Amino acid sequence: MTLKERLGRLGRTEAANGYLLVSPTALYALLLLAVPLATILAFSFWTQNYLDIDTTLTLKNYQEAFGEPLYRQLMLRSLMISGAVTLATVLTAFPIAYFVSFHVPQSRKSLWIFLITIPFWTSYLIRVFLWKVILGYNGVLNATLQGAGLIDEPLTFILYNANAVVITLAHAFAPFAILPIFVALEKIDRSLLEASQDLGENRLTTFLRVTLPLAMPGVVAAVLIVFIPTIGDYVTPRLVGGPNGLMIANMIQTQFLKLNNAPLGAALAVIAMLLVGAISLIFVGLNRRFLRGPK
Amino acid sequence: MTRPIITLRDVQKYYGDYHALRGITAEIGEGEFFSLLGPSGCGKTTLLRTIAGFEDITSGAVLLDGQPMEGVPANRRPTNMVFQSYAIFPHLSVAENVGFGLRRRTDLDRRAKQTLVEEALTMVGLGGYGARAAHALSGGQRQRVALARALILKPKVLLLDEPLSALDKKLREQMQFELRRLQRQVGITFVLVTHDQEEALIMSDRVAVMFEGQIAQLDSPQNLYRRPLNRQVADFIGVMNFLPATVSVEDGQGINADVAGLGRAVIDPEQAPGGATSGAACVGIRPEMMSILYENEQTDRRIAEGVVEERAYYGDMTYYDVRLDGIEKPVTISMKNIVGRPVLDRGTATRVSWDARSLVLFNAA
Repeated sequence: MTLKERLGRLGRTEAANGYLLVSPTALYALLLLAVPLATILAFSFWTQNYLDIDTTLTLKNYQEAFGEPLYRQLMLRSLMISGAVTLATVLTAFPIAYFVSFHVPQSRKSLWIFLITIPFWTSYLIRVFLWKVILGYNGVLNATLQGAGLIDEPLTFILYNANAVVITLAHAFAPFAILPIFVALEKIDRSLLEASQDLGENRLTTFLRVTLPLAMPGVVAAVLIVFIPTIGDYVTPRLVGGPNGLMIANMIQTQFLKLNNAPLGAALAVIAMLLVGAISLIFVGLNRRFLRGPK
Repeated sequence: MTRPIITLRDVQKYYGDYHALRGITAEIGEGEFFSLLGPSGCGKTTLLRTIAGFEDITSGAVLLDGQPMEGVPANRRPTNMVFQSYAIFPHLSVAENVGFGLRRRTDLDRRAKQTLVEEALTMVGLGGYGARAAHALSGGQRQRVALARALILKPKVLLLDEPLSALDKKLREQMQFELRRLQRQVGITFVLVTHDQEEALIMSDRVAVMFEGQIAQLDSPQNLYRRPLNRQVADFIGVMNFLPATVSVEDGQGINADVAGLGRAVIDPEQAPGGATSGAACVGIRPEMMSILYENEQTDRRIAEGVVEERAYYGDMTYYDVRLDGIEKPVTISMKNIVGRPVLDRGTATRVSWDARSLVLFNAA
């Protein structure tokens, strides 16, 4: 078979049509995702001498990234903060998703979901600034509490530290957690809940034995959707985090732009990606247990 | 009837303004195979769900084994249900599904529970399927898992909500037989909801025919078929020809009827289960209670004359629409296709034999 024949045959297949369809997107993804990633990876094995990049392969950056306590501390803090954000987001999102799915009449559900997304029509940055206004020393929260006579001194533990980062990010990612959980709850056949009650379980044990396990795919999706972007978040810790709320992304930015050490920044970025990847894989693995198959 | 296990006293149910159950009163006996039969929307599933405890009733009383069930939630009632969708838990294995309700049995250790599960699976013909994932089962197998899951708890009453409607015809017939066998084996009261009159007749000891939230007739399958209380029941159970008639009742004795197309007949009062009054009435006769006489065939039954208008050949049977002299609407007659009975063509003039004992008298309308 000649090459021409092969190509002719390929052109007629379903697969070829498929490749043709995805090629613009694939090309876009390749240029804007794969190429930058590969560049970062390459940089992490190089070194920088003032203005020149030394392209000799070396593990020096990784040694420094792992050896220096500051980087370890920042990485750990990033993990803790995004872990706390994920926990807070999913724990608050679940009851909302549950309420909309189980207690809102069918005809009103899309309205409710629509209303939930309204705060997110404004820019992310504006919402972060708004939290500054709410949580600040003379902010809305402190003024209200003082006005009500509940506190004498303004609370200071709510802004310019890790708490503020958690509060702001948890709010920012709420709809991304509500939606997958809502979808998972919507998919639960209501007769399963009746069957559980019929077999002797009360409402609480039915929730634990049927609703929650069947909602787990949505919960795991919510965890991933919140955890992955928050660990690398840069704006929120910068604006509301104060010195003790800074995260690894702030250090990466500093390395690249201020300390003129792109290779070390790249190494930190690679380590952060690997960590997120590893943790995500654990969750995906957990999800397998709950995804034995479609109904 | 045996000792009543379910007692329904004037059960009323409203959904807002909609009156779903309009005063249901019935007793269902221990060990009985009882069916609720009716068209969709007649309230049969609602009634089943009020027995299970999934629906509150507006007024009246539901008693299970003599105990009033008001305020008792589904999880504390001595009933178990097989759902129309089977409601097999997709995240559990077959054995976990079947053993779901055993968690509360603290008197049993793990091994005893496993044995019970295996026994239940064997009983429904799924021995050895325990480790399978529930979603890997076929429709018929899911049905069996749902049955095993309910029966393992040894309920006083098993409620079945149209359990066979999703199965194909062959499997449905097989399951009808198996359900009946299973019910005899375990001796538990079965209450079956169905819209399939044939299924209700085949399986049940007694059937309640429901229309618009009320029980129209509660009787054995044979009585339902032979002596339906009114035209609505007669029409729902099987096929029946209705002929206008004029009736004169002679003080408690025979009922004289002048039936359109058939002529004069004396009807036994037993064949007027809905009662009879003089005047305009309606007479029903089943298709198999009439036969077409072939050329030289002789009979001592009554004879009417008519013309074949239409015929439908079913293989074992042929259904004829015959227009009898004197009435416009043709009557349906079913004939077994045995040797010596050719299928008649349309337009054939024919004689039809019938018997006054197979007539059922209804009040007019």
